[in-house]
Amino acid sequence: MNPNRKIKNSWDKRVFLQMGNILLALLLICLPLPASAIEIDELIRHIDRLWRGETSRANMTMTVKTQRYQRSMTMEAWSRGKEYSLVVIRKPIKDKGIATLKVKENIWNYLPKINRVTKVPSSMMSGSWMGSHFTNDDLVKESTFEDDFTSSISFEGKRNGINIYEITSIPKEDAAVVWGKVIMQIEQKTLAPHRALYYDEEGVLVRTLTFDQPQQIDERTVPMRLTLQPEDKPEESTVIIYNEIILDVPIADSFFSLQNLQKRR
Amino acid sequence: MTALTKDFTAAPAFSRLPMLIFVAWRNIWRNPIRSVLTISALASGLIMVILYASLLEGMMRQMVRFATEISTSHIQLHRQAYIDDQDIYATFPWSYMKQIEQDFPEVHITPRLYAAGLASSEDTSTGVLIKAVDPKREIAVTKMLEHVRHGKLDLGIADTAENGFVRYNLVIGAQLAKNMNVKPGDELVLVTQAIDGSIGNALYRVAAILKPLEPNFDRMGVLMSIEAYQQLMYLNDGFHELAIKVNDMTQIEMVQAAITNKLYQLSKSQPLDKLGGEAISRNWKELTPAISDMLEMSKAMVLVIGLIIISMASLGMLNTMLMAVHERTHEFGILLAIGMKRRWLLLMVLFESFFLSIVSAIAGSILGIIINEYFEDPGIDFSRSLPDGYDWAGMVFEPIMKGYLLPVDVLYACLMMMVVTMLASLIPSWRTVRLKPAEVMR
Repeated sequence: MNPNRKIKNSWDKRVFLQMGNILLALLLICLPLPASAIEIDELIRHIDRLWRGETSRANMTMTVKTQRYQRSMTMEAWSRGKEYSLVVIRKPIKDKGIATLKVKENIWNYLPKINRVTKVPSSMMSGSWMGSHFTNDDLVKESTFEDDFTSSISFEGKRNGINIYEITSIPKEDAAVVWGKVIMQIEQKTLAPHRALYYDEEGVLVRTLTFDQPQQIDERTVPMRLTLQPEDKPEESTVIIYNEIILDVPIADSFFSLQNLQKRR
Repeated sequence: MTALTKDFTAAPAFSRLPMLIFVAWRNIWRNPIRSVLTISALASGLIMVILYASLLEGMMRQMVRFATEISTSHIQLHRQAYIDDQDIYATFPWSYMKQIEQDFPEVHITPRLYAAGLASSEDTSTGVLIKAVDPKREIAVTKMLEHVRHGKLDLGIADTAENGFVRYNLVIGAQLAKNMNVKPGDELVLVTQAIDGSIGNALYRVAAILKPLEPNFDRMGVLMSIEAYQQLMYLNDGFHELAIKVNDMTQIEMVQAAITNKLYQLSKSQPLDKLGGEAISRNWKELTPAISDMLEMSKAMVLVIGLIIISMASLGMLNTMLMAVHERTHEFGILLAIGMKRRWLLLMVLFESFFLSIVSAIAGSILGIIINEYFEDPGIDFSRSLPDGYDWAGMVFEPIMKGYLLPVDVLYACLMMMVVTMLASLIPSWRTVRLKPAEVMR
């Protein structure tokens, strides 16, 4: 039996992190080309703060559709910068109270039924997150996206009738990442992300993340629905809908601690 | 000598033979030290071959026993999707098991379920492979549950908390226990994705630690009862694997064919879901191809290694006979001069070689069998340096290597040695045939 395979299939879905963080990770650009340097910096800053601000509180619903089942979860998420986040499941009843704390590259889960905190080991990082098509790695790697990838604006103009900026991120030589290339499309008019395309090391498209249902929050256009579509399973998908996002709420540092993880049921 | 030779040439062919044999036998002992050395070389070679064959056979037997008795059993049934990528949804309904049990009362069957999960102890977390068995049935099919190293085997309920949560007992693999630093009696948390997509999580008590079974299980195996599994995974209406033990191993193919046929009938009357794929039955040779290949190969290995050892030993024989013939050149010349037929001379030299080899064969077999007694019991014990045994071809072996000598192996080894030495002795014999009496007697 191939253990890795199994792990990937069925495991780990117990990590709940704020989805916005993942997306932001894709947009972090660290080595701008001189010509469009200002623009890239602006784009990074803009998208970095889009769902998150300095601190944030959000309420979201994730719907996972697979060949075998479809289930929805409602969760509440808090974040501070991109290194700290806490997610608690509110619905369904069965999973209520399950919480995940992310501090930098570490993930802990709190399981209310057995009243225990467990740490997700590094060997589990490639596993699916919460039964969705995201992986634990997606949550963790966003903290290091800047260090792992070299990004540049590779295209400016019309795609499918929309004026976009296209940012291509290529992993650095020694970075331990799974993607061979990540392409992010951003609408020029609203500066809202439009699509993110993930390629493997052979250059094959593995999955597509689509952003839509934009809403004005604090004068910014924020897509409220994210759809992740794996290319090899067209009938499966994971959809995250933000019901509410409140930016720059006061949150103490001690909020993102193991003690608090266990306290907040 | 003259009288002897006269008698020799005059007598009819058959009555001459015992005399020839007698002379050949006496000739060997004209130089006893040289002959004894030759015999010891050949006998040692033979002992080596016998012991090698015995150890290899012992290992093969242990291998087959481990391959079938410990966890694989003789035949296993799976769904195709389970074989391909351990699809947790690819199950057989329980009615299949009942039907097979009814129709094949002479075989023992046991259902198994699997899942992947995350195990956490107080200090660490690691990915594990959850295996669920029915202890009562499992005992009739495999020895897995008897392989306990520490603790007491128990897959029942350990205790019930005040809030009504039940803690089940678990049994875990040796390497996993070591890596997680878990002892019997410790608590273990398992977290996994249940089949409805929710998060299955529960507390368990480690009841026992198993001895090494197979590398995968040792490193990440967690064994629980089917009830405990169903409460964790919400997977109530099926099982992933059916292991079948046949009483007579020679009947495996026949039973397999009958069960395959039964599966086909069942899939007509109670269709399986499409996504899980077809029902597949495989016997232990198909399940562990490395081992059945190894069995085939080991026979060839004994032959090749045996030939090499024996050929080396027969070089000693060749040397002895060349010397023996050389120092008797003069004598042979006289024999030829007084009318001894060359073919009898040739025959005599061949008999000498034959005696050397048969004495070696007898001595080697007896000594080999005696030494082999020690190999069979107590065997070669590595347990001091390798307490967990060693693994080879994906199987874990006991740290005690035991021989198993088949009488037929001794016979073959002797035959092989005699054939090789007789071939070697053709060279000195041929020299006697080409002797020219006039030259050698000068």
